[in-house]
Amino acid sequence: MIHREKKLNLDNAINRKLEKEGSGAVLKRLQQAVVQRDCNGVKALTERMVTEGVELFEILNQGLIPGMLEASERFRKGKFFIPELLMSSRALKFGLSILRPLIQERNKDVLGRVVIGTVKFDLHDIGKNLVIILLEGSGFEMIDLGVDVSPEKFVNAVEKNEAQILAMSSLLTSTMSWMKFTIELLQASGMHRRVKTMVGGAPVTQIFAKNIRADAYCREATSAPSVARKLLGIESNARAVFSE
Amino acid sequence: MNQSIKNPKLLILACAVMEREIQQFRNGQVEFKFFDYGLHRTPENMSKTLQVEIDHASEEDYDGFILGYGLCSNGIVGIHSQKKRLIIPRIHDCISLFLGSPESYHEQAKQHPGTYYLTPGWIEKGETPISKFNSYAQSYGEETARWVLHEEMKNYTRILLINTGVCEIEPYQKIARQNAEFLGISFQEIQGSYQLFKELVCGPWSKNFLVIKKGHSIQQEMFLDL
Repeated sequence: MIHREKKLNLDNAINRKLEKEGSGAVLKRLQQAVVQRDCNGVKALTERMVTEGVELFEILNQGLIPGMLEASERFRKGKFFIPELLMSSRALKFGLSILRPLIQERNKDVLGRVVIGTVKFDLHDIGKNLVIILLEGSGFEMIDLGVDVSPEKFVNAVEKNEAQILAMSSLLTSTMSWMKFTIELLQASGMHRRVKTMVGGAPVTQIFAKNIRADAYCREATSAPSVARKLLGIESNARAVFSE
Repeated sequence: MNQSIKNPKLLILACAVMEREIQQFRNGQVEFKFFDYGLHRTPENMSKTLQVEIDHASEEDYDGFILGYGLCSNGIVGIHSQKKRLIIPRIHDCISLFLGSPESYHEQAKQHPGTYYLTPGWIEKGETPISKFNSYAQSYGEETARWVLHEEMKNYTRILLINTGVCEIEPYQKIARQNAEFLGISFQEIQGSYQLFKELVCGPWSKNFLVIKKGHSIQQEMFLDL
Protein backbone atom coordinates (compact mmCIF):
# COMPACT_ATOMS: atom_id res chain seq x y z
CA MET A 1 0.00 0.00 0.00
CA ILE A 2 1.11 3.53 -0.78
CA HIS A 3 0.97 4.74 2.79
CA ARG A 4 3.12 1.88 3.99
CA GLU A 5 5.85 2.58 1.45
CA LYS A 6 5.90 6.25 2.19
CA LYS A 7 6.11 5.60 5.91
CA LEU A 8 9.16 3.38 5.42
CA ASN A 9 11.04 6.30 3.89
CA LEU A 10 10.64 8.36 7.02
CA ASP A 11 13.19 6.49 9.03
CA ASN A 12 14.96 9.14 11.00
CA ALA A 13 13.85 10.88 14.15
CA ILE A 14 13.52 14.34 12.64
CA ASN A 15 11.35 13.13 9.83
CA ARG A 16 9.22 11.15 12.23
CA LYS A 17 8.76 14.23 14.36
CA LEU A 18 7.82 16.34 11.36
CA GLU A 19 5.41 13.72 10.18
CA LYS A 20 3.81 13.58 13.59
CA GLU A 21 3.39 17.34 13.79
CA GLY A 22 2.13 17.47 10.24
CA SER A 23 -0.42 14.73 10.72
CA GLY A 24 -1.49 16.26 14.05
CA ALA A 25 -2.41 19.50 12.35
CA VAL A 26 -4.24 17.71 9.56
CA LEU A 27 -6.09 15.53 12.07
CA LYS A 28 -7.22 18.71 13.79
CA ARG A 29 -8.46 20.04 10.48
CA LEU A 30 -10.27 16.76 9.84
CA GLN A 31 -12.01 17.04 13.22
CA GLN A 32 -13.10 20.57 12.39
CA ALA A 33 -14.32 19.52 8.95
CA VAL A 34 -16.67 17.01 10.63
CA VAL A 35 -17.89 19.69 13.06
CA GLN A 36 -18.32 22.15 10.17
CA ARG A 37 -20.37 19.55 8.24
CA ASP A 38 -17.96 19.82 5.31
CA CYS A 39 -18.40 16.54 3.40
CA ASN A 40 -15.90 17.34 0.65
CA GLY A 41 -13.37 18.59 3.19
CA VAL A 42 -13.67 15.39 5.23
CA LYS A 43 -13.29 13.28 2.09
CA ALA A 44 -10.24 15.20 0.83
CA LEU A 45 -8.48 15.26 4.20
CA THR A 46 -9.12 11.56 4.87
CA GLU A 47 -7.83 10.64 1.40
CA ARG A 48 -4.79 12.84 1.91
CA MET A 49 -3.89 11.27 5.23
CA VAL A 50 -4.33 7.75 3.88
CA THR A 51 -2.04 8.62 0.99
CA GLU A 52 0.52 10.19 3.31
CA GLY A 53 0.68 7.05 5.38
CA VAL A 54 -1.10 8.14 8.54
CA GLU A 55 -2.35 5.11 10.42
CA LEU A 56 -5.98 4.30 9.70
CA PHE A 57 -6.45 3.93 13.44
CA GLU A 58 -5.20 7.47 13.98
CA ILE A 59 -7.38 8.98 11.27
CA LEU A 60 -10.41 7.29 12.79
CA ASN A 61 -9.77 7.77 16.49
CA GLN A 62 -7.98 11.10 16.46
CA GLY A 63 -9.71 12.76 13.51
CA LEU A 64 -13.17 11.55 12.56
CA ILE A 65 -14.44 10.33 15.93
CA PRO A 66 -13.34 13.35 18.01
CA GLY A 67 -14.94 15.58 15.35
CA MET A 68 -18.22 13.74 15.69
CA LEU A 69 -17.89 13.78 19.48
CA GLU A 70 -17.57 17.56 19.41
CA ALA A 71 -20.68 17.80 17.19
CA SER A 72 -22.57 15.58 19.68
CA GLU A 73 -21.41 17.71 22.62
CA ARG A 74 -22.57 20.85 20.85
CA PHE A 75 -25.94 19.16 20.34
CA ARG A 76 -26.13 18.25 24.02
CA LYS A 77 -25.38 21.84 25.00
CA GLY A 78 -27.93 23.32 22.61
CA LYS A 79 -25.37 24.84 20.25
CA PHE A 80 -26.25 22.33 17.53
CA PHE A 81 -29.71 21.10 16.65
CA ILE A 82 -30.91 18.14 14.64
CA PRO A 83 -29.92 19.54 11.21
CA GLU A 84 -26.34 20.23 12.30
CA LEU A 85 -26.05 16.84 14.00
CA LEU A 86 -27.30 15.03 10.91
CA MET A 87 -25.04 17.02 8.63
CA SER A 88 -21.99 16.22 10.78
CA SER A 89 -22.97 12.53 10.66
CA ARG A 90 -23.19 12.77 6.88
CA ALA A 91 -19.72 14.32 6.71
CA LEU A 92 -18.37 11.60 9.01
CA LYS A 93 -19.80 9.01 6.65
CA PHE A 94 -17.72 10.43 3.79
CA GLY A 95 -14.55 9.79 5.78
CA LEU A 96 -15.58 6.38 7.05
CA SER A 97 -16.46 5.20 3.54
CA ILE A 98 -12.81 5.70 2.62
CA LEU A 99 -11.43 4.00 5.74
CA ARG A 100 -13.83 1.08 5.86
CA PRO A 101 -12.56 -0.89 2.83
CA LEU A 102 -8.95 -0.31 3.91
CA ILE A 103 -9.66 -1.57 7.40
CA GLN A 104 -11.48 -4.57 5.97
CA GLU A 105 -8.60 -5.29 3.63
CA ARG A 106 -6.17 -5.21 6.51
CA ASN A 107 -8.22 -7.24 8.95
CA LYS A 108 -9.50 -10.14 6.96
CA ASP A 109 -11.96 -11.08 9.66
CA VAL A 110 -14.52 -8.69 11.07
CA LEU A 111 -13.94 -7.65 14.67
CA GLY A 112 -17.31 -8.99 15.66
CA ARG A 113 -20.91 -9.24 14.61
CA VAL A 114 -23.34 -6.78 16.16
CA VAL A 115 -27.13 -6.95 16.12
CA ILE A 116 -28.55 -3.45 16.60
CA GLY A 117 -31.96 -1.79 16.77
CA THR A 118 -34.17 0.80 18.41
CA VAL A 119 -36.37 -0.75 21.08
CA LYS A 120 -40.09 -1.53 21.00
CA PHE A 121 -42.49 1.40 20.45
CA ASP A 122 -39.61 3.74 19.67
CA LEU A 123 -39.03 4.98 16.14
CA HIS A 124 -36.06 7.25 16.61
CA ASP A 125 -33.00 6.16 14.71
CA ILE A 126 -30.63 9.08 14.24
CA GLY A 127 -28.36 7.93 17.08
CA LYS A 128 -28.65 4.26 16.17
CA ASN A 129 -27.73 4.96 12.54
CA LEU A 130 -24.72 6.95 13.68
CA VAL A 131 -23.58 4.01 15.81
CA ILE A 132 -23.98 1.74 12.78
CA ILE A 133 -21.73 3.80 10.55
CA LEU A 134 -19.16 4.19 13.33
CA LEU A 135 -19.03 0.48 14.12
CA GLU A 136 -19.02 -0.53 10.47
CA GLY A 137 -16.25 1.95 9.81
CA SER A 138 -14.32 0.44 12.72
CA GLY A 139 -14.48 -3.07 11.34
CA PHE A 140 -17.62 -4.59 12.86
CA GLU A 141 -20.30 -6.39 10.88
CA MET A 142 -23.68 -4.82 11.59
CA ILE A 143 -27.10 -6.42 11.45
CA ASP A 144 -29.63 -3.59 11.63
CA LEU A 145 -33.11 -4.59 12.77
CA GLY A 146 -34.45 -1.05 12.36
CA VAL A 147 -36.86 0.57 14.79
CA ASP A 148 -39.70 -0.63 17.08
CA VAL A 149 -37.88 -3.93 17.64
CA SER A 150 -39.46 -6.38 20.09
CA PRO A 151 -37.38 -8.37 22.59
CA GLU A 152 -38.27 -11.57 20.68
CA LYS A 153 -37.00 -10.13 17.44
CA PHE A 154 -33.73 -9.02 19.07
CA VAL A 155 -33.15 -12.40 20.68
CA ASN A 156 -33.98 -14.33 17.51
CA ALA A 157 -31.62 -12.18 15.46
CA VAL A 158 -28.79 -12.69 17.98
CA GLU A 159 -29.28 -16.45 17.78
CA LYS A 160 -29.68 -16.65 14.02
CA ASN A 161 -26.64 -14.46 13.30
CA GLU A 162 -24.51 -15.77 16.13
CA ALA A 163 -23.86 -12.17 17.15
CA GLN A 164 -21.26 -11.33 19.79
CA ILE A 165 -22.90 -8.02 20.70
CA LEU A 166 -26.49 -6.84 20.99
CA ALA A 167 -26.76 -3.03 20.85
CA MET A 168 -30.01 -1.29 21.78
CA SER A 169 -31.00 2.34 21.44
CA SER A 170 -33.91 4.38 22.79
CA LEU A 171 -34.74 8.06 22.65
CA LEU A 172 -37.77 8.04 24.93
CA THR A 173 -37.82 7.51 28.67
CA SER A 174 -41.13 5.72 28.06
CA THR A 175 -39.50 3.04 25.92
CA MET A 176 -36.24 2.51 27.84
CA SER A 177 -37.81 -0.32 29.84
CA TRP A 178 -37.85 -2.44 26.69
CA MET A 179 -34.08 -2.71 26.99
CA LYS A 180 -34.63 -4.36 30.34
CA PHE A 181 -37.28 -6.73 28.95
CA THR A 182 -34.94 -7.71 26.12
CA ILE A 183 -32.07 -8.43 28.51
CA GLU A 184 -34.44 -10.48 30.66
CA LEU A 185 -35.47 -12.52 27.64
CA LEU A 186 -31.82 -13.09 26.76
CA GLN A 187 -31.24 -14.32 30.31
CA ALA A 188 -34.32 -16.55 30.26
CA SER A 189 -33.13 -18.18 27.05
CA GLY A 190 -29.61 -18.62 28.42
CA MET A 191 -28.19 -16.61 25.53
CA HIS A 192 -26.80 -13.88 27.77
CA ARG A 193 -23.77 -16.11 28.18
CA ARG A 194 -23.02 -15.95 24.47
CA VAL A 195 -23.71 -12.29 23.73
CA LYS A 196 -22.75 -8.98 25.34
CA THR A 197 -25.28 -6.17 25.54
CA MET A 198 -24.63 -2.47 25.09
CA VAL A 199 -27.23 0.27 25.49
CA GLY A 200 -27.43 3.95 24.70
CA GLY A 201 -29.64 6.84 23.63
CA ALA A 202 -30.24 10.35 24.93
CA PRO A 203 -32.22 9.47 28.12
CA VAL A 204 -30.21 6.35 28.99
CA THR A 205 -27.82 6.76 31.91
CA GLN A 206 -24.99 4.72 33.37
CA ILE A 207 -27.13 3.98 36.44
CA PHE A 208 -30.02 2.78 34.30
CA ALA A 209 -27.72 0.55 32.24
CA LYS A 210 -26.34 -0.95 35.45
CA ASN A 211 -29.79 -1.47 36.93
CA ILE A 212 -31.04 -3.40 33.92
CA ARG A 213 -27.81 -5.44 33.92
CA ALA A 214 -26.57 -4.35 30.53
CA ASP A 215 -22.92 -5.23 29.95
CA ALA A 216 -22.01 -1.75 28.72
CA TYR A 217 -23.30 1.78 28.39
CA CYS A 218 -22.51 4.28 25.65
CA ARG A 219 -22.94 7.88 26.71
CA GLU A 220 -22.23 9.00 23.17
CA ALA A 221 -22.63 7.25 19.85
CA THR A 222 -18.97 8.03 19.26
CA SER A 223 -17.89 5.87 22.19
CA ALA A 224 -19.54 2.79 20.60
CA PRO A 225 -16.43 1.49 18.74
CA SER A 226 -14.26 1.68 21.84
CA VAL A 227 -16.96 0.17 24.07
CA ALA A 228 -17.59 -2.65 21.58
CA ARG A 229 -13.88 -3.46 21.41
CA LYS A 230 -13.69 -3.51 25.20
CA LEU A 231 -16.67 -5.86 25.38
CA LEU A 232 -14.93 -8.31 23.08
CA GLY A 233 -11.65 -7.95 24.96
CA ILE A 234 -9.77 -6.32 22.11
CA GLU A 235 -9.56 -2.73 23.33
CA SER A 236 -6.18 -3.06 25.01
CA ASN A 237 -4.58 -3.95 21.70
CA ALA A 238 -6.85 -1.89 19.52
CA ARG A 239 -3.81 -0.28 17.98
CA ALA A 240 -2.47 -3.67 16.99
CA VAL A 241 -5.81 -4.56 15.49
CA PHE A 242 -5.71 -1.56 13.23
CA SER A 243 -1.99 -1.49 12.55
CA GLU A 244 0.15 -4.02 10.79
CA MET B 1 -46.48 40.02 53.66
CA ASN B 2 -48.24 38.69 56.72
CA GLN B 3 -51.32 38.13 54.69
CA SER B 4 -49.45 36.01 52.21
CA ILE B 5 -48.01 33.83 54.98
CA LYS B 6 -51.53 33.09 56.15
CA ASN B 7 -52.49 32.26 52.61
CA PRO B 8 -49.58 30.30 51.26
CA LYS B 9 -49.55 30.04 47.50
CA LEU B 10 -48.15 27.55 45.07
CA LEU B 11 -46.06 28.66 42.13
CA ILE B 12 -46.60 26.72 38.91
CA LEU B 13 -43.67 26.58 36.51
CA ALA B 14 -44.93 25.13 33.27
CA CYS B 15 -44.24 24.74 29.58
CA ALA B 16 -45.95 27.34 27.42
CA VAL B 17 -47.60 24.66 25.27
CA MET B 18 -50.06 23.90 28.11
CA GLU B 19 -50.79 27.49 29.10
CA ARG B 20 -54.44 27.51 28.00
CA GLU B 21 -55.23 24.19 29.69
CA ILE B 22 -53.61 25.30 32.96
CA GLN B 23 -55.06 28.81 32.95
CA GLN B 24 -58.58 27.32 32.98
CA PHE B 25 -58.02 26.41 36.62
CA ARG B 26 -56.66 29.76 37.69
CA ASN B 27 -57.51 30.46 41.32
CA GLY B 28 -56.30 32.59 44.20
CA GLN B 29 -53.98 29.91 45.54
CA VAL B 30 -51.67 29.63 42.57
CA GLU B 31 -49.39 31.80 40.53
CA PHE B 32 -48.10 30.88 37.11
CA LYS B 33 -44.95 31.23 35.15
CA PHE B 34 -44.66 29.77 31.65
CA PHE B 35 -41.47 28.86 29.82
CA ASP B 36 -40.54 28.68 26.20
CA TYR B 37 -41.08 25.33 24.49
CA GLY B 38 -37.49 25.56 23.19
CA LEU B 39 -36.18 24.25 26.54
CA HIS B 40 -37.18 20.78 25.32
CA ARG B 41 -34.55 20.76 22.66
CA THR B 42 -31.79 20.88 25.26
CA PRO B 43 -32.68 18.96 28.44
CA GLU B 44 -29.57 20.35 30.19
CA ASN B 45 -30.89 23.88 29.77
CA MET B 46 -34.36 22.92 31.00
CA SER B 47 -33.15 21.85 34.43
CA LYS B 48 -30.82 24.86 34.74
CA THR B 49 -33.55 27.35 33.81
CA LEU B 50 -36.15 25.85 36.14
CA GLN B 51 -33.66 25.52 38.99
CA VAL B 52 -32.78 29.21 38.78
CA GLU B 53 -36.49 30.07 39.05
CA ILE B 54 -36.97 27.79 42.03
CA ASP B 55 -33.91 29.09 43.87
CA HIS B 56 -34.97 32.64 43.25
CA ALA B 57 -38.61 32.10 44.29
CA SER B 58 -37.71 30.01 47.35
CA GLU B 59 -37.16 33.22 49.28
CA GLU B 60 -40.78 34.20 48.75
CA ASP B 61 -43.86 33.00 50.56
CA TYR B 62 -44.73 30.06 48.39
CA ASP B 63 -45.84 26.84 49.96
CA GLY B 64 -44.30 24.84 47.16
CA PHE B 65 -43.69 24.56 43.45
CA ILE B 66 -45.69 22.69 40.86
CA LEU B 67 -43.90 21.71 37.68
CA GLY B 68 -45.98 21.57 34.53
CA TYR B 69 -43.54 19.17 32.93
CA GLY B 70 -43.03 15.45 32.58
CA LEU B 71 -39.68 13.71 32.83
CA CYS B 72 -39.08 15.35 29.41
CA SER B 73 -36.03 13.33 28.36
CA ASN B 74 -34.48 13.89 31.82
CA GLY B 75 -34.89 17.67 31.46
CA ILE B 76 -36.13 17.92 35.05
CA VAL B 77 -33.70 15.47 36.64
CA GLY B 78 -31.76 17.03 39.50
CA ILE B 79 -34.23 19.84 40.18
CA HIS B 80 -34.70 20.42 43.89
CA SER B 81 -35.86 22.96 46.41
CA GLN B 82 -34.04 23.34 49.71
CA LYS B 83 -36.98 25.05 51.35
CA LYS B 84 -40.24 23.96 49.73
CA ARG B 85 -41.89 20.87 48.35
CA LEU B 86 -42.09 20.11 44.63
CA ILE B 87 -45.11 18.60 42.94
CA ILE B 88 -44.77 17.05 39.52
CA PRO B 89 -46.89 14.75 37.38
CA ARG B 90 -45.36 11.27 37.20
CA ILE B 91 -45.38 11.12 33.41
CA HIS B 92 -42.82 10.85 30.65
CA ASP B 93 -43.97 13.93 28.78
CA CYS B 94 -46.90 16.29 28.43
CA ILE B 95 -48.86 14.05 26.05
CA SER B 96 -50.18 12.15 29.09
CA LEU B 97 -51.49 15.44 30.48
CA PHE B 98 -53.28 16.31 27.24
CA LEU B 99 -54.77 12.82 26.86
CA GLY B 100 -55.82 12.72 30.53
CA SER B 101 -53.77 9.77 31.78
CA PRO B 102 -50.52 7.87 31.28
CA GLU B 103 -52.65 4.86 30.32
CA SER B 104 -54.29 6.63 27.38
CA TYR B 105 -50.87 7.77 26.16
CA HIS B 106 -49.54 4.25 26.43
CA GLU B 107 -52.54 2.95 24.49
CA GLN B 108 -51.99 5.44 21.67
CA ALA B 109 -48.26 4.76 21.54
CA LYS B 110 -48.89 1.01 21.48
CA GLN B 111 -51.36 1.20 18.61
CA HIS B 112 -49.35 3.71 16.59
CA PRO B 113 -45.76 4.09 17.77
CA GLY B 114 -45.12 6.51 14.92
CA THR B 115 -47.48 9.21 16.15
CA TYR B 116 -46.61 12.89 16.02
CA TYR B 117 -48.85 14.56 18.61
CA LEU B 118 -50.18 18.07 18.19
CA THR B 119 -52.36 20.26 20.39
CA PRO B 120 -53.43 23.88 19.89
CA GLY B 121 -50.64 24.88 22.30
CA TRP B 122 -48.01 22.88 20.44
CA ILE B 123 -49.09 24.43 17.15
CA GLU B 124 -49.02 27.95 18.58
CA LYS B 125 -46.04 27.82 20.88
CA GLY B 126 -44.17 24.65 20.01
CA GLU B 127 -43.36 23.37 16.57
CA THR B 128 -44.87 21.37 13.74
CA PRO B 129 -43.18 19.43 10.93
CA ILE B 130 -43.92 22.35 8.58
CA SER B 131 -42.51 24.94 10.97
CA LYS B 132 -39.41 22.79 11.41
CA PHE B 133 -39.01 22.50 7.65
CA ASN B 134 -39.30 26.27 7.24
CA SER B 135 -36.76 26.89 9.93
CA TYR B 136 -34.31 24.35 8.46
CA ALA B 137 -34.82 25.77 4.97
CA GLN B 138 -34.05 29.26 6.19
CA SER B 139 -30.69 28.12 7.53
CA TYR B 140 -29.68 25.51 4.97
CA GLY B 141 -31.88 25.79 1.89
CA GLU B 142 -34.81 23.66 0.80
CA GLU B 143 -32.91 20.65 -0.44
CA THR B 144 -31.05 20.11 2.82
CA ALA B 145 -34.20 20.92 4.81
CA ARG B 146 -36.07 18.20 2.94
CA TRP B 147 -33.32 15.68 3.67
CA VAL B 148 -33.09 16.62 7.37
CA LEU B 149 -36.85 16.49 7.87
CA HIS B 150 -37.01 13.14 6.09
CA GLU B 151 -34.29 11.70 8.34
CA GLU B 152 -36.06 13.07 11.40
CA MET B 153 -39.63 12.11 10.49
CA LYS B 154 -39.37 9.11 8.18
CA ASN B 155 -40.76 6.64 10.69
CA TYR B 156 -43.83 8.66 11.64
CA THR B 157 -47.12 7.34 10.28
CA ARG B 158 -49.78 9.63 11.72
CA ILE B 159 -50.48 13.05 13.14
CA LEU B 160 -52.82 12.99 16.10
CA LEU B 161 -54.47 16.25 17.10
CA ILE B 162 -55.55 16.26 20.73
CA ASN B 163 -58.57 18.44 21.35
CA THR B 164 -58.65 19.43 25.01
CA GLY B 165 -61.66 21.65 24.45
CA VAL B 166 -60.00 24.89 25.51
CA CYS B 167 -60.51 26.74 22.27
CA GLU B 168 -62.16 26.55 18.89
CA ILE B 169 -60.48 23.61 17.20
CA GLU B 170 -61.15 24.25 13.48
CA PRO B 171 -58.10 26.43 12.76
CA TYR B 172 -55.85 23.85 14.42
CA GLN B 173 -57.49 20.98 12.54
CA LYS B 174 -56.61 22.75 9.34
CA ILE B 175 -52.96 23.18 10.34
CA ALA B 176 -52.65 19.61 11.64
CA ARG B 177 -54.14 18.27 8.37
CA GLN B 178 -51.74 20.39 6.32
CA ASN B 179 -48.86 18.88 8.28
CA ALA B 180 -50.11 15.34 7.71
CA GLU B 181 -50.43 16.05 3.98
CA PHE B 182 -46.99 17.62 3.94
CA LEU B 183 -45.49 14.42 5.38
CA GLY B 184 -47.81 12.11 3.44
CA ILE B 185 -49.09 10.44 6.59
CA SER B 186 -52.55 10.00 8.11
CA PHE B 187 -54.40 12.51 10.25
CA GLN B 188 -56.60 11.75 13.24
CA GLU B 189 -58.18 13.76 16.00
CA ILE B 190 -58.88 12.60 19.52
CA GLN B 191 -60.77 14.10 22.41
CA GLY B 192 -58.34 15.02 25.15
CA SER B 193 -59.05 15.57 28.81
CA TYR B 194 -58.36 18.29 31.34
CA GLN B 195 -58.54 15.96 34.34
CA LEU B 196 -54.80 15.88 34.99
CA PHE B 197 -54.47 19.63 34.43
CA LYS B 198 -57.15 20.16 37.05
CA GLU B 199 -55.34 17.92 39.52
CA LEU B 200 -52.04 19.55 38.66
CA VAL B 201 -53.31 23.02 39.56
CA CYS B 202 -55.87 22.28 42.28
CA GLY B 203 -54.84 18.93 43.77
CA PRO B 204 -55.39 16.59 45.49
CA TRP B 205 -52.42 14.90 43.85
CA SER B 206 -53.21 11.29 43.09
CA LYS B 207 -50.93 8.39 42.12
CA ASN B 208 -50.16 10.23 38.90
CA PHE B 209 -48.15 12.84 40.81
CA LEU B 210 -44.95 12.89 42.80
CA VAL B 211 -44.64 15.11 45.85
CA ILE B 212 -40.95 15.64 46.50
CA LYS B 213 -39.95 16.76 49.97
CA LYS B 214 -37.71 19.77 50.45
CA GLY B 215 -34.04 18.98 50.11
CA HIS B 216 -34.66 16.04 47.78
CA SER B 217 -34.07 16.16 44.06
CA ILE B 218 -36.00 14.72 41.14
CA GLN B 219 -34.53 11.47 39.80
CA GLN B 220 -35.22 9.50 36.64
CA GLU B 221 -35.99 6.30 38.61
CA MET B 222 -39.03 7.98 40.19
CA PHE B 223 -40.74 7.91 36.79
CA LEU B 224 -39.85 4.40 35.66
CA ASP B 225 -41.73 1.18 36.36
CA LEU B 226 -38.87 -1.25 36.53
